[in-house]
Amino acid sequence: MSAVATPARQASGGMSTKTLNRIVIYGLLALFALFYLMPLFVMLVTSFKTMDEIQNGNMLALPKAPTFDPWIKAWSEVCSGLTCVGMKGYFWNSIKMVVPAVLISTLLGALNGYVLTKWRFRGHTLVFAMMLFACFIPFQSVLLPMATILGSFGRFGVTLQNATGFNFGLGNSTVNLVFVHVVYGIGFTTLFFRNYYEAFPNELIKAAQVDGASFFQIFRRIMLPNSLPIIVVTVIYQFTNIWNDFLFASAYAGSGDVMPMTVALNNVVNTSTGVVEYNVNMAAAMIAALPTLIVYVVAGRYFVRGLMAGAVKG
Amino acid sequence: MSVATSQIKLTPERSRPSVRSRLQDALPKIVLAPSFAITIVFVYGFILWTIYLSFTNSKTFPSYVITGPRAYQRLWGWTFDSDPPSSWYTSIVNMGIFGFLYIAICLALGLFLAILLDQKIRGEGVLRPIYLYPMALSFIVTGVAWKWFLDPGLGLEQTLHQWGWTSFHFDWIKNKDFVIYTVVIAGVWQASGFIMAMFLAGLRGIDGEIMKAAQIDGATTFQLYRRIVIPLLRPIFLSAFIVLAHLAIKSYDLVVALTSGGPGGSAWLPSNFMYEYTFKRNEMAVGSASAVIMLMTIVAIIVPYLYSELREKPR
Amino acid sequence: MAFLEIDGLKKRFGNVEILKGIDVELEKGGFLVLVGPSGCGKSTLLNTIAGLEQITEGEIRVDGRAINDLHPSKRDIAMVFQSYALYPNMTVAGNISFGMEMRGVPADERQKAIDKVAKVLQIGHLLQRKPSQLSGGQRQRVAMGRALVRDPKLFLFDEPLSNLDAKLRVDMRIEIKRLHATTGTTIVYVTHDQIEAMTLATKIAVMRDGEVQQFGTPAEIYNNPTNLFVADFMGSPAMNLIPATIATSGNALSVVLQREAREPITLPMANAPTGLSAFQGKPIIFGVRPEALTDPEGAERNASNIATADLHIEVVEPAGSDTFAVTNLGGKPVVARLRADANIQPGTSTPLAFNLTKAVFFDPATESRIR
Repeated sequence: MSAVATPARQASGGMSTKTLNRIVIYGLLALFALFYLMPLFVMLVTSFKTMDEIQNGNMLALPKAPTFDPWIKAWSEVCSGLTCVGMKGYFWNSIKMVVPAVLISTLLGALNGYVLTKWRFRGHTLVFAMMLFACFIPFQSVLLPMATILGSFGRFGVTLQNATGFNFGLGNSTVNLVFVHVVYGIGFTTLFFRNYYEAFPNELIKAAQVDGASFFQIFRRIMLPNSLPIIVVTVIYQFTNIWNDFLFASAYAGSGDVMPMTVALNNVVNTSTGVVEYNVNMAAAMIAALPTLIVYVVAGRYFVRGLMAGAVKG
Repeated sequence: MSVATSQIKLTPERSRPSVRSRLQDALPKIVLAPSFAITIVFVYGFILWTIYLSFTNSKTFPSYVITGPRAYQRLWGWTFDSDPPSSWYTSIVNMGIFGFLYIAICLALGLFLAILLDQKIRGEGVLRPIYLYPMALSFIVTGVAWKWFLDPGLGLEQTLHQWGWTSFHFDWIKNKDFVIYTVVIAGVWQASGFIMAMFLAGLRGIDGEIMKAAQIDGATTFQLYRRIVIPLLRPIFLSAFIVLAHLAIKSYDLVVALTSGGPGGSAWLPSNFMYEYTFKRNEMAVGSASAVIMLMTIVAIIVPYLYSELREKPR
Repeated sequence: MAFLEIDGLKKRFGNVEILKGIDVELEKGGFLVLVGPSGCGKSTLLNTIAGLEQITEGEIRVDGRAINDLHPSKRDIAMVFQSYALYPNMTVAGNISFGMEMRGVPADERQKAIDKVAKVLQIGHLLQRKPSQLSGGQRQRVAMGRALVRDPKLFLFDEPLSNLDAKLRVDMRIEIKRLHATTGTTIVYVTHDQIEAMTLATKIAVMRDGEVQQFGTPAEIYNNPTNLFVADFMGSPAMNLIPATIATSGNALSVVLQREAREPITLPMANAPTGLSAFQGKPIIFGVRPEALTDPEGAERNASNIATADLHIEVVEPAGSDTFAVTNLGGKPVVARLRADANIQPGTSTPLAFNLTKAVFFDPATESRIR
């Protein structure tokens, strides 16, 4: 055993197998780190280069004269199709969509998880299973009916507008997307909270009942204050998913000034009028990626936990 | 004594619960009801609606006259006279190639990296987030980044030419026979780090005493992993497979952003087929039929899994 | 009329009957312990008294008023839980006063009540801490404080000591007993630990499979168990339950115990229970507690019926305060409790005295007591 414990001293002539092993392992790990970092690195350096440097220089080289112009252009001037107003409007579209959708779906998930673990009724497993299955459907199988329904919401909104002077948000693309993301997000949020509350001691609920707390008082005073970790996990998971969504966004807000970020980015990159400004495209892509990247850097631990919770059921 | 008779006996003695207290008792169900109703209507109702549409002759607008399984016949009735035989043929062949390679490479790479990282690595805290960050990016950003990176005129090929390797040739992204493999590369880049994290969590969850016992039994490192550790990770393999299969069937954005569908639609997956036929080619019934087939594929994978997961823990 | 009355209480989950008709009552200021192995229904019974679980049939009355349809908070009860169930997000003071807050008690009154309870339980210095910053014993005190502050009609304890280590458990047991003595509250207490039951209770209900096996004072339960289960469950070390037969010698009955490789022991019974005569020549179970099987010098002086027999000692366990000797009778290991300084060696034969006044007999077929 001691030979294994101190291999370096055993090898007098050269490197021991153990040291060699370590070098190979670290080498491989570093190589893969390069593989994962490369596209981000290229995107980042390109976004600070001039077009001239891009066409004549090396993709991997650092910018010789770093310039913020591509970022400024991407933010406020870049063309998406025929409109050239930059990404900023679409960025706010995404924010206006993401924030309410995340808050509503998280709150509903918390309530559902609370009911499904602490106020069980006959058939609670079936109800949960049906909501859980909804997380896994390919959204293509509901895409068309939803488009039809949103269309009639819009027509109804116009009727309301004419009748009452206010359309209650019906027909508004942002409202539509919030609705869609809440509908198809509650499966996940319910799953997260249900699994978390499953481990939450039932005796606390009993104690609160004896203390005279009502259904909602228990939720607000006992459950929520003790749910911070899962709230963070759920909010991050939902934020990332909704921000990154492309399918719903392109189907229900695929053109005009109502587009969310992902759709706008795709349009910018595929706009073929004039010279393709790769530096601006990359800056636009970076702007689209930044919010989720920042969340990942700040709260990576919770991000991973959310992914895991979404992967491991039960 | 049966339940019924005992209740008849007891009813007169008990005070009738008030409306208020009955409302209190029903409150949990009332709270859950909207979410459940939403799920019933907007998931299950819509699925039925889509199935219905697939049996009609809907084109630009939905039609509700059942005309039989024509859409399905159109999907599956290709001939090999043309090349490619049909867009649907291309889509499902691509799905097969992409699904198999994406899942297999992600699992292999994820496990490999997890095992490497589990060797008491200095700097694990730096490496792990580097492997995992692509999962935070959208498919669109991933697609844009890799489109640039794989572009023959600007990306990797050009860079290697500049470094002197002028014979290097890599134009898969523009080649209709190879474009699907670029989707595999970008997909693996995005998801493999997450699979690594799943395996790493699994490795960390293995009882250290089992490992010690195996070492005392004289197992080499390779034998230890092959005979003890990997078999113990079986549940992780299953979860990872489910996650990847699910991601693979839903992958739509990546193909759009990376290849714009590829030359002549050669990079299409069924999800792209569905979107194109439904919203761009005004073949709503055919699009719906393809969505139904996607759904059935997912059901075949997910339902047994969910059933076993939820059933294993009886209360 | 008793203070707490439980009448024909039944509870079913679907077709499974969890509680099969419970009848128990307790006087005001009494201390009722529900004891039994896990799964016997004792915690379910406590939960139905608290209102945390609904009953299928029967009635629960406190102070003459039926409470079984009331919400837990309306029953005027307080409960101490096994895990203490302290709200992790609130301070000790917040935990203690949460119930009052829910009832709309004004802040200054709440503060007074907190201070009073903190003084009784000596937790004044902990009031601003969170439960995670407390030791097990301190959490236990806070949980009791939360119950005490309510000044309820009935206190319910659900295995409150099972999460404490052995020494602290003894301390807290004494504390609970003192609290009961000084405050004169009425308590229902669930435990699986028969020592807690014996030391704390004024009344014990021994439960098994959703039925009360025996209900009585600790002394009744210990000395006069009604069946094999109660005899075996209560007491530590457990009562020796030895397969035996009944023989007649003249007018008197005697108990015959088989020994390994030696002739059986015959113990003459001077004052056998009348029911025993029906078992002549038949097998019975002979029950004798370890302290009623001891060295002849240590035997109770004024016991009227003592029989001595030579027994082969297999194992000797010096336990400090006592020495336990294990022999074998009727094919089962039998424990005798001797003085700490008893001079006894394993592998030898020693005369031991059976105190037959304390002996009990059971019918092996019905497992019930022969009286």
